[in-house]
Amino acid sequence: MVELELINLTKKFVGGFTLGPLNLKVNNNQILVIIGPTGSGKTTVLNLISGLLKPDGGSIMVDGRDITSVPVERRKIAYTFQNPSLFPHMNVYENIIFGIKKKWKDMNNSNVEINSLLADLGVSQLTHRRIHGLSGGEMQKVSLARMLITKPKIILMDEPFAHLDPSTKRKLRIELRHILRRQSAPTICVTHFEDDVYALADSVCALQGGIMEHSSTLGSLMKTGRYASNDNDSASRVLPNILTSIQGNNYLEGEVIKSLGGLTTFKTGSTLLETLGNYNTGSKVGILIRPEDIILSKQMVKTSARNVVRSKVIKFTKYDAAIVDVFMVADSFHLTSRITEEARADLQLRQGDDVFAMFKASSPQVVREEGKEEG
Amino acid sequence: MIMNKRLQGFNITIIVLSGIALAYIAYPLVTLLVFVEPTMLPHGILRPQLTNALILSLFSATISTLILSLFGVPLSYFLARFKNFPGKFILRVIVIVPLVLPPLASGALLLGVFGPYSPIVKAFPTVEFTQSVLGIIIAQTYVASPFMILASQAAFESVDESYENIARVLGKTRFETFFKVSLPMAKTGIVIGLILSWVRAIGELGATMMMAYNPHTISIQIFEDNAIGGLRNAVPDIILAIVLSLIVVFVFYIMRRQRQDALRIQW
Repeated sequence: MVELELINLTKKFVGGFTLGPLNLKVNNNQILVIIGPTGSGKTTVLNLISGLLKPDGGSIMVDGRDITSVPVERRKIAYTFQNPSLFPHMNVYENIIFGIKKKWKDMNNSNVEINSLLADLGVSQLTHRRIHGLSGGEMQKVSLARMLITKPKIILMDEPFAHLDPSTKRKLRIELRHILRRQSAPTICVTHFEDDVYALADSVCALQGGIMEHSSTLGSLMKTGRYASNDNDSASRVLPNILTSIQGNNYLEGEVIKSLGGLTTFKTGSTLLETLGNYNTGSKVGILIRPEDIILSKQMVKTSARNVVRSKVIKFTKYDAAIVDVFMVADSFHLTSRITEEARADLQLRQGDDVFAMFKASSPQVVREEGKEEG
Repeated sequence: MIMNKRLQGFNITIIVLSGIALAYIAYPLVTLLVFVEPTMLPHGILRPQLTNALILSLFSATISTLILSLFGVPLSYFLARFKNFPGKFILRVIVIVPLVLPPLASGALLLGVFGPYSPIVKAFPTVEFTQSVLGIIIAQTYVASPFMILASQAAFESVDESYENIARVLGKTRFETFFKVSLPMAKTGIVIGLILSWVRAIGELGATMMMAYNPHTISIQIFEDNAIGGLRNAVPDIILAIVLSLIVVFVFYIMRRQRQDALRIQW
């Protein structure tokens, strides 16, 4: 089992910015997502681990071995940057095999392994294409293939979806988690996009002003952070300060019960919900619902919305002068709806009220899907 | 309507001024035709003095360019990549000196280094540093160096450092990264630098005259033929030089176009 550990890692920059001291551990079954605003030091963390930057203090341990002073090229770390940085003077195939040692390249079975990885990533048909003819998604996949073919011990990713259009981003996010899970290498992904956290993370930590402020598994983060009814709860006080961006969306996890003709029914707790798209029956899905998409009513009314969830209001938080977030508990999960203050007044909504939360089947967005074989 | 008239006025101004500039550049070439004697031209071009001068110029300029590629490319990479060190500004100024200095002054400075009483000559008494092919190469290399270094520096600067970082992360040493990534990606810009410095070396006169009037390069041959018999006497030399220039210009534009294409596909 490979384990990456940072011990008191620090880096000081001219101008006063200091990163760290950072302490964290990531094992080979884990994808850690570091979220933080621009300038918080996220990329610096990756540059330090990869060896592109030298730390001023602390150590980087892989499998208990200190690699802090090992040169970049000998660390066996895969690192994808914000842009795919494919070499424009090489074709796709030449890019992919760039990092393979000649000795291994000459071996007969290397081609089988290369082809199998390319097929996995869906880039087999691209191998003889030139780089400038590729789409953003294809470039990112080729970049991934180039990185994974070297059989890295550690995987680092810097904003892997930053340059992709929304639909490619949605598709690649789901694929990427599958691919990374198959690698069984400790993985750190940095991002400032909330959706990336839901799509990729096993655990999450926040970085702000060079300081690692919070670390937790995605599940416990969702449970303890957003819906604590008591404002004095320690988690609810800490979390908004460090993960402000994660406060927006509703994230649910469920199991696909039925998927037919582009409509999928999944079960979360004992509630059945519907979403668009086809997914494997039995697979586990992670779903995002924008709070703006949830309509509230005090009575059960017939509408075109396919999803109606009976909930109880637990608290209100002002979003801005005219808008309020309504936090609700339903069955075994929580929901947030974003409505105007006027709508709240019209409905005479109060803490403890029973409401019906409604949203269309087109509203939930599947950000991760994990088949049974992946556990 | 008013906008259209203004636009027309602008276009006319640009066209007229461009026409004057073009006429100024092209007219001397036209006057050359007045002095051409077609029956004498083949004989003039095939004169041994001229063919020898041309061969010498091609040889010396090529050697100068090779020397520049060996030492100039690493220096340009150094200037492009090593950004924060004390004295970088002074280094940049030094690199430009041969470009801004009058060529005769460059020649005089070189004579100070390679002239009869210099320490280098005393150290290598059997080597003829002046009035020799070596002297020509020294002068041409010095004067052409900024073209090579500045063009290559710009080419390396246009290559995003992330490509080099990726190569390092993928297991390549610094040398491998330089030869497999930096150099190929900057190749077209470097080749443009090589062409420019080669052309500059071919056309070099002032510093070469100071270092080695003999043997004659094509530039010195043109200078001498014109001095002896006026333009009519120098016409075959000039026509040869024009043909050579046109070939180089053609290659230069093809390379520049390739470079623009290469830059377009970088993220």
